[in-house]
Amino acid sequence: MFILIQLVMKQYITYSSILLLVVLVTFSGCKKFLAEKDPSNLEPDTYYTIPEHAEAAIAAAYSQTRFIGSGAGIFVANFSMLEVVTGTAKTETGQNSDLNNLIGLSYNGDNLLVRNWWNGLYSVIAQTNLVLDKVPGISPMDEARKNQILGEARFLRAWAYFYLVRLYGDVPLITAPQSATSENFYPSRTSSEEIYKQITDDLTSAENAGLPWKDPSGRANKGAVKALLAKVYLTMAGQPLNKGAAYYKLASDKALEIITQGGISLFPTYGDLHSLTQENREEHMFEIQYLATVAGNPMQQLLLPNFKNVSAYSDEVGSTVPTTQFYQSYEAGDLRAKDREGFFYTSYYDGGNGALKPLNAPYVFKHFDVVANGTSGVAGTTQSDLNWPQIRYADVLLVYAEAQNRADGAPNAQAYTALNAIRLRAQLLPLAGLSQTAFEEAVWRERWHELCYEGVTWFDMVRLRKAYNEATNTFENFTGHRFPDNPSLVLADKNLLFPLPTAEMRNNPKLVPQNPGY
Amino acid sequence: MLFFMGTDALAGESALLRNYPKILNAAFFQNSAQLIRITGTVRDAKGEPLPGVGVKSVKSGKSAVTDAGGHFTIEVDSPTEQLTFSFIGYNTQVRSAGSGSSGLTIRMVPSAAVDLDDVVVIGYGTRKKSDLTGAVGSVKQEQLAERPAASLNQALSGRISGVQVNTNSGRPGGQTSIRIRGFSSINSSNNPLYVIDGVILPVGSQTQNSNAIDFLNSGDIASVEVLKDASSIAIYGARGANGVILITTKKGTAQGGRITYDVDFSVPTIGPHRVEMLNAKEYIATENLAYENAKIYDPAGWAAGNYVDPRIKRLSLPRLFDTSGNPLYDTDWFKESTQNKLSQNHQLGFTGGNAETTYGIFLNYREDNGLLLNSYLKRYSGRFTMDTQIKKWIKVGGSLNYTNQEENLVDIGTGGLNSVRMITESFPFLPVKYADGTWADNQNYPGAEGGSNPVHILTDRQYVLQTQNVLGNVYTNINLAPGLELRSVLGANVVTRGRNEYNGRTLYGIAFDQKGTAYLDNNRESYWSFENYMTYNKKFAKDHAVTGLLGLSWQETNIFGFAAGGENFSTDYFGPNNLGAASKPNPGTSRRSSFAFNSYFGRLNYGYKDKYLLTATGRIDGSSKFGANHKYAFFPSAALAWKVSEEDFLKGSRTVSNLKVRASYGVTGNSEINTYSSLALLGTGYSAIIDNVRITGVGTNRLANPDLKWEKTAQSDIGIELGLFDNRVSIEADLYYRKTTDMLLAAPVPTSSGYGSITRNIGSMENKGLEFAISTNNITSKDFSWTSSFNISINKNKVLSLATPADIFGVGNPSFTNETGIIRVGEPVGSFWGLKRLGTWSESERAEAAKYTYRGGKTLLPGDVKYLDVNGDYAINDADRMIIGNGSPDGWGSLTNTFKYKNIELLLELQYSYGNDVLDMSTHSGEDRVGIANSYKTVLGAWTPQNQNTDIAAIRDTRAGYITNVDTRWVQDGSFIRGKNLLLGYTFPASVVEKLKLSRLRIYTTVQNFFLATKYRGNDPEVTTYGNAFSQGQTFFDYPKPTTYMVGLNIGL
Repeated sequence: MFILIQLVMKQYITYSSILLLVVLVTFSGCKKFLAEKDPSNLEPDTYYTIPEHAEAAIAAAYSQTRFIGSGAGIFVANFSMLEVVTGTAKTETGQNSDLNNLIGLSYNGDNLLVRNWWNGLYSVIAQTNLVLDKVPGISPMDEARKNQILGEARFLRAWAYFYLVRLYGDVPLITAPQSATSENFYPSRTSSEEIYKQITDDLTSAENAGLPWKDPSGRANKGAVKALLAKVYLTMAGQPLNKGAAYYKLASDKALEIITQGGISLFPTYGDLHSLTQENREEHMFEIQYLATVAGNPMQQLLLPNFKNVSAYSDEVGSTVPTTQFYQSYEAGDLRAKDREGFFYTSYYDGGNGALKPLNAPYVFKHFDVVANGTSGVAGTTQSDLNWPQIRYADVLLVYAEAQNRADGAPNAQAYTALNAIRLRAQLLPLAGLSQTAFEEAVWRERWHELCYEGVTWFDMVRLRKAYNEATNTFENFTGHRFPDNPSLVLADKNLLFPLPTAEMRNNPKLVPQNPGY
Repeated sequence: MLFFMGTDALAGESALLRNYPKILNAAFFQNSAQLIRITGTVRDAKGEPLPGVGVKSVKSGKSAVTDAGGHFTIEVDSPTEQLTFSFIGYNTQVRSAGSGSSGLTIRMVPSAAVDLDDVVVIGYGTRKKSDLTGAVGSVKQEQLAERPAASLNQALSGRISGVQVNTNSGRPGGQTSIRIRGFSSINSSNNPLYVIDGVILPVGSQTQNSNAIDFLNSGDIASVEVLKDASSIAIYGARGANGVILITTKKGTAQGGRITYDVDFSVPTIGPHRVEMLNAKEYIATENLAYENAKIYDPAGWAAGNYVDPRIKRLSLPRLFDTSGNPLYDTDWFKESTQNKLSQNHQLGFTGGNAETTYGIFLNYREDNGLLLNSYLKRYSGRFTMDTQIKKWIKVGGSLNYTNQEENLVDIGTGGLNSVRMITESFPFLPVKYADGTWADNQNYPGAEGGSNPVHILTDRQYVLQTQNVLGNVYTNINLAPGLELRSVLGANVVTRGRNEYNGRTLYGIAFDQKGTAYLDNNRESYWSFENYMTYNKKFAKDHAVTGLLGLSWQETNIFGFAAGGENFSTDYFGPNNLGAASKPNPGTSRRSSFAFNSYFGRLNYGYKDKYLLTATGRIDGSSKFGANHKYAFFPSAALAWKVSEEDFLKGSRTVSNLKVRASYGVTGNSEINTYSSLALLGTGYSAIIDNVRITGVGTNRLANPDLKWEKTAQSDIGIELGLFDNRVSIEADLYYRKTTDMLLAAPVPTSSGYGSITRNIGSMENKGLEFAISTNNITSKDFSWTSSFNISINKNKVLSLATPADIFGVGNPSFTNETGIIRVGEPVGSFWGLKRLGTWSESERAEAAKYTYRGGKTLLPGDVKYLDVNGDYAINDADRMIIGNGSPDGWGSLTNTFKYKNIELLLELQYSYGNDVLDMSTHSGEDRVGIANSYKTVLGAWTPQNQNTDIAAIRDTRAGYITNVDTRWVQDGSFIRGKNLLLGYTFPASVVEKLKLSRLRIYTTVQNFFLATKYRGNDPEVTTYGNAFSQGQTFFDYPKPTTYMVGLNIGL
């Protein structure tokens, strides 16, 4: 630059050098010229100052729970992963090789759904970690509300880790916001024992966060916190931690707290389970929230029969549909198997609102949004606001029945009441006078038939190391179980855990070893 | 619309323009009484007068041009003054002016293939071609006129070795990708830098991958230079790693007023190669077989009565089938979806001026009607340019360009049931419309996947981009001393683009569920640059020639955009024009960003005895996008050239008329990453639903990387230029090696952090290649000439290292049923990733097949697809995937032959490419989904017990379980030879032209893309339907490329 000026000055003092000088003066000392500030995004070090920022932070965590309904390639959403490996569900499309590999039990760590679950859950955790790190420093803020928000974050973090530890076993434990220089940016696997400790710590803390028992707004609530904790204890009592009777006791106590103090009851009809007016109420203790104007329920088309024109939707996929064997395993007269009243439909209205027509196969009615799909004489809107259930009171009752029976060595009257509440709603005869084993199997059977297609059955199989043989109505060992609907498929030890996502192992050399068998 | 004005208005206009220079000349005469007036006639080899020849005084720089009769007039100071006579295609002649007492007669001799005296534009200056030390390709106006094209990129295709232009779509205005010497980057842009009249164009962030260059009217271009090697690029240091394309636009003329009018009309027709679908009869038979085979491939579903006999289904559809189930229609959807609509292009130029001041006014109206219904591009542009030597020591000038472009993209929505997909998938037994006037769509056929017919989509869907572009510059050239010049250029480019999208209420799979959707988007990108540089030219002691350059520059881009949309309309009437009518409005969004560059640069050229040439270049570049500690970087280069033919031992050689060897080395950079990539950020892309209300969340967005720095590409180049037999044969060949280090990549990180990626400098990659071009004058005789030019480019790319260092998936490629691309050390980028299909299982392999479950858990049977089980674990999954192809060609180029007989000219241009694979993902829809949509004709060769040796699985109802994976069946050899252009032109002889009071009259006709020789099964192997960096050759239903017939007229006044 200096040379340039000199050259000009020395040779000719003309208008041009003045021009050049003006230029140089205008732009010299322009260090700021290359400085950056993003006007459309925030910087983490300067945000989180007022209570609204705490609400925005926890909102981000809730929004991430919707990953369960997010897509995983052609004709598939993530929720299917937990269904198609149980033997209760199959697909009618065959167009998605990732889903095909799950159904065929020939998946590995590259499987898109296996990756999506990992990524989705850790994204929820990252948002909750931000809340737990940043919100305590916001001042002034109403302390009661602050505590609630921290409690909601702890619940959501526990919810995510509970999925992670059951799906993948030992997983990295991340409890603080990350940067590229964080100690845990390339984490190793943490033992399941420690993960469970974090989960129970978070949930115990959330129990005392001042949350209401129920919350029809869809937020975490005390009922959901305690229900999740009961489920966690029950799982810890079984495989793989095998903590046994003490934890069955913890589970049954926690479930009983809800039953006796929560003021919660079962819906009188199965229709309420997928009715827009009953969302986040009573039996629906915690749900993933959908609203068409923000984010519509994306599972509707996927669950419809493959191009049979039974709804207002123009694409009907049949991505995940019940297996015939499972559908036929319901007791005679079980209301849950009744066409369009229980959890299934085998006939529906042409175009969603026309003449009733047989479908020759069962489809899932439990999550069927009649407003979006249409019903007799009423055209569907194709806009689904229907939530996706996560924790249901029916589950709490069955957790109690199972845990009490194991904790105390025999079922008590309350356990029978809990189990029979489920059966009575299904218009089945109440059970009585069963042995501990027979009672336990009766509870399991009820779990399979009551909680199907809600992401529960697979985890029951893993914690019990049992599988339900729909053909014989008995339980057999997980390993070696042959799906009656598809006898070429046999469960093996390795299926007890999903593989760690290969991409994650590639990007994090410390994430070893891979789960056995993959 | 000036050219449609009444003749009176036009006449008045042109009279004024014609008189203007005369007035100036008159004033000039009074001041310079002692001038000698020289007149003369210029003729060609045949003795015909040659109009349009440039006459120039070497000393004064004054110039003139010959009129239709070949006559010229010019004033000189003394009889010894040298005059040059130059005309494209002829050797430049030099003559003494003489006393002017008798008229001069000059006989022009047709030039050799390459004119070494051509002046070539280089970064921040010009240079004689013979003095170049680097690899620079050049295209002149005349060549561009041979193949009128909507965009510069299309016009460049096949012209310059080392430059790979893929016209990947038949869409008007086209979707092109341009690569100079392969890929330099994984994540950053691989697009070259465009410089128009010395003003660097910003790398665009516009929708649909378009660039500011796409809005330039290619008719305004006077010449294009492509800088390829590091030595020529390095002056653009930071921004030049992908090569630099310099565009010089047309200017005024110093020889008085001229009016030119160029017009062409064209019609697109269905191209030479197209994919074949099943016709109605074949479809019916195929669907019947699919039903029968469900019994075999899904016995349980069959037993449960899950399958409906299509013969019964058809009987309930009297609108489509007769009472015996025979189809009533047999529609060729390809034909129905295309139009042969006239396109037009009008180019009007007014230029004029004198020795001091020149100006030009250029107007263009282009209306391109595409092959697909309702597909169009319309462009209005106007440009004004002026240059004036306002004082002896200062020259000022500038240009202002305005473009208004509107295009309807009818093929958008790749991946969905869009128009181009439904051309293939619509059932042949459907009519376009039923008798009652309603659309007949796949949705009407029970069991189908649905979707609307393509004519329906092409009619009811609009995706209109309206772009307004203002491009301007002003400059001053100040002569500080003899040989010392200071130039300042202020440039600006403002692109405002609006997207108006509306999808009709009845379009199944597009907007039916939403009852109509509208999306509006408006984006404004404003850019300015301010560059100042000083040039010093000096010859010392006869043998030493020095040119020095020093400069500094600032550039800034500001981007602002907003978008809004809505769903659920009660009528299609509004289209995108009344968002308020949407029952469900989408939330609006807005965004703003900016980035800036600051640079210092210098260059030194030194020539000794005009034999040994040296160029040294350096540039310090700063970009706002990098981390605080790494904003600036230095990019040096050097080059040497030896004009061997100037040595005594070759001088005067009859055989070797020109021989130059040159070598260069240098470093260039790349900074095309997202703004703010080095900062930690929180984002608002989180919408929670609480109490059935949207609550906007704030959460994680981006990881900070304060160490983010420049991506650098080091390139070495050795080149040779050889001219034989008085340059009747000229050869230019280059060998290069490019190595990119510190590659910028949004590198994946452990997602346990809650983040997906971080922008990092992660690894290195190389390109090595060979470029070879030969031009020959095969025959030059009085009436007949034949010239040929041929070029070939060979490039090999390889990834050398990755910091990860594992394979990278999901970067630069689309994901389709699984990741389709991989970046792996030791392999080229753009590699396809998939399974190896061995064929189909035969009856004799029934037992072996039964050990697999990859058909959705069902037992594999004879007739199912058989894959290579790489690890032998009886599971077919990602562990069995491998690299199965690459979209980049091994070599490519063109061959052009030009024949001239008297005034008739015939040009044949062939384009070729070999070794490029196409990953045709539409094979998935075309072969693996029988019964829910129409299929490719290839399924007629599917597996049957009688035809077991086939790649195509036995036909079955889709619900019975197909197997579909990205695999080797989808990968095809995309090598091709294309008849790019065939031109027949006639230039009217001077006698006729003169009578018409014109200076030039030419008529021509062309046919473009008139044949295609390829083994590829799809429409066209030069294709991608994705905008990703390495997606070349990856297609999922493309806009078919037409054969275009054109007639045109060039008129000069």
